[in-house]
Amino acid sequence: MIEFLGEVADWFGDPVNWQGIDGIPNRLWEHFQMTMFSMVIAAVIAILPAIVLAHKKIGGVFVVAVVNIGRAVPSFAIVAIALPISIRLGLGLGFWPTLLALVFLAVPPMFSNTYAGVSGVDAALVEAGRGMGLTEYQTMFRIEVPVAMPVIVAGARIATVQVIATATLGALVAWGGLGRYIIDGFATQNAPEVFAGGILVALMAIGAETLFSLYERTTYSARLRRRSVGTADEGIVVVESVPH
Amino acid sequence: MTVFAQSASGIFQWSWVQRNLDAIWDRTLEHVYLTAVAIGVGFVISLGLSLVALRWRRAYQPITLVTGLLYTIPSLALFAFLVPVTGLSVLTAEIGLVSYTLLILIRNMVTGINEIPSDVIESADGMGYTRSRRFWEIEVPLAMPVIITGIRIATVTVIGLVTVTSLIGLGGLGFFILRGLQTFSSPIGTTQIIVGTALSVFLAVAADLSLSGIQRLLTPWASRKEAK
Amino acid sequence: MRSHRNLVIGAMLLAVALVAAACSSGGDTKDGTPIIVGSANFGESALVAEIYAQALEAEGYTVVRKLNTGNREIYATALEAGELHLVPEYVGSALSFKGGVPTANTDSTTSDLRAAWAIDGVTVLNPALAQDKNGFVVTAATAADLGLSSVSDLAAFNGTLVFGGPPECPEREFCLPGLESVYGLSFAEFKALDVGGPLTVAALEGDEIQLALLFTSDGVIASKGFVLLDDDKGLQPAENVVPVVLTSIVDEYGTSFTDVLNKVSAKLTTADLTLMNKLTGYDGEDPVQVAADWLKSVGITK
Repeated sequence: MIEFLGEVADWFGDPVNWQGIDGIPNRLWEHFQMTMFSMVIAAVIAILPAIVLAHKKIGGVFVVAVVNIGRAVPSFAIVAIALPISIRLGLGLGFWPTLLALVFLAVPPMFSNTYAGVSGVDAALVEAGRGMGLTEYQTMFRIEVPVAMPVIVAGARIATVQVIATATLGALVAWGGLGRYIIDGFATQNAPEVFAGGILVALMAIGAETLFSLYERTTYSARLRRRSVGTADEGIVVVESVPH
Repeated sequence: MTVFAQSASGIFQWSWVQRNLDAIWDRTLEHVYLTAVAIGVGFVISLGLSLVALRWRRAYQPITLVTGLLYTIPSLALFAFLVPVTGLSVLTAEIGLVSYTLLILIRNMVTGINEIPSDVIESADGMGYTRSRRFWEIEVPLAMPVIITGIRIATVTVIGLVTVTSLIGLGGLGFFILRGLQTFSSPIGTTQIIVGTALSVFLAVAADLSLSGIQRLLTPWASRKEAK
Repeated sequence: MRSHRNLVIGAMLLAVALVAAACSSGGDTKDGTPIIVGSANFGESALVAEIYAQALEAEGYTVVRKLNTGNREIYATALEAGELHLVPEYVGSALSFKGGVPTANTDSTTSDLRAAWAIDGVTVLNPALAQDKNGFVVTAATAADLGLSSVSDLAAFNGTLVFGGPPECPEREFCLPGLESVYGLSFAEFKALDVGGPLTVAALEGDEIQLALLFTSDGVIASKGFVLLDDDKGLQPAENVVPVVLTSIVDEYGTSFTDVLNKVSAKLTTADLTLMNKLTGYDGEDPVQVAADWLKSVGITK
């Protein structure tokens, strides 16, 4: 075991693994870029509709359905399905099927948490706003969204970690990223490479989770945050953790 | 740009399914087995750790930290750590799968007990319940809905993750998804992806509904209270 | 008279018995160890294993199938340990695996393999006509634009092309290292894709790679109009399909057993194999049915 860890250390120490397309800097950058792209696109798709629907108090059943589907469909399956779809759309393999799959995965938690966050805003606050003469638009964005922010950010945190995790499967559809080390390592029976890949991916996921948590802790008071970490129940689901 | 160049049968081939009913059945059983073991072992471990956390409040933070860390580590990375140590085996898969259940189960168990209104505890004390009797006969039953919700979430999570174990030689229904991915340009490939995905989802939904039914049976007072 | 009648009846019974025996000689079940047939975990290997299995069953042998065992490391270990009795192999890659040096010559490669594996209790039978080698392939457009017809033509474009193949390619002497040392080639990038599968094909079609590693018995090369570059420096060894059997099984059943397998191998051509690959791999037909149809078409079964 110690010997093996020594081999892993050697892998990290080998300058070849830090250069070129298959080098750690490039793969890290690819992984980071893909995460950013997917999150931004998913946010654009998910957040606004969720805010509007929650404000109007419609679509609750839809939200529950979206979350349940998101949980029940394995992320591996989504990546697998994205490939033939991407090819048939003429988008080829590698980048596009991976992006497609990751956006699809990131939308449910962001949508659901945004909806739950906005729905959970104290009705009294909304009433007060209306009483003060705020328009619907102003009510949404000056009262509901700011109050719901801790829950929305929590949703972004969960989605980001899941995207980082699932992006490793992109290596199966000819994309790059950190998953390359794990998948190629399995194929060539290079155990130190597999392990090293695992370390890099784990560090990135933990890093993202930590950064978000720190941000949440410093920006939002403990009382606001407690609402965002609840146990899921039958009603509107606040997604506190998602399988990956 | 050819969108659906193949005929309709080019996406799903029923004849493949008919030829491979045995294999499909075997993989479904494998999937259920891997899930059941993971939830079973995860439940036992979580129960132990929850009892510790309830007895010594200070233990809760570190327990949550470690199980949270395990949860954050992507499944493929976790298997990447385990394979050089425990090989391409059921053990590797189970260690990984169990790790993902711990955070959810422990958090729900502890929160479930902690959220019991204090006046219920006081009444029980007033009625003369000993601490352990109170725990097992009052607190645990009251915490059941939350605990079972945790089991439901953990189960659906594990069912999804079992598919990833196809990359280490197992997979349950994920085997077909992986195979399909490797042969995606042929109708057999797309058929396998569809079959693997559809049956995984079916298992997840079935498990969720069954557990929710059990939840209702075990806690009739909770469902009577619910205003639907 | 009674004695005459008895004689006649006796002769008739004898005749009937002889005819019955003649009619069912192919149908007698051979007593002995059931033969466990295995294969590697890709379509062609499983298909060839199925062909040998059905040929044996037609001769009355009891066959147990344990196909799709894994890659060579896994199924070869199982074979040598006696968990599998028969697997289809490829003479060049197998010899390389057993530590030998294969050449493009089928006969010498096969006899070297025979010697190498005999020590481990495995008998190598006669090689089939069919070969499945590594093929370096470009699209028709690329071949026309760059004027490529053989692998050495690629040297003029060193450092500019992207090469795609299986993840093991950089470690296999008949793949990337061979291209580098024998042909002096270098590429802009190597992309790890799959083992001559749809990912590699899609990457080639989409121009994400300009050169792909595919397999010569894969019908996709012809059906997509790709150009298989000529291996003019002979990097690829002979890769005839050959059944390898546990020596103890060969000893148990003798030449009538090995004759069945050798007869199949003698009829199996590259063209037949390529066609069967296309039917099972791309058209979604049942490998069991395709194998049965082929055996019938070459007259091995009725």
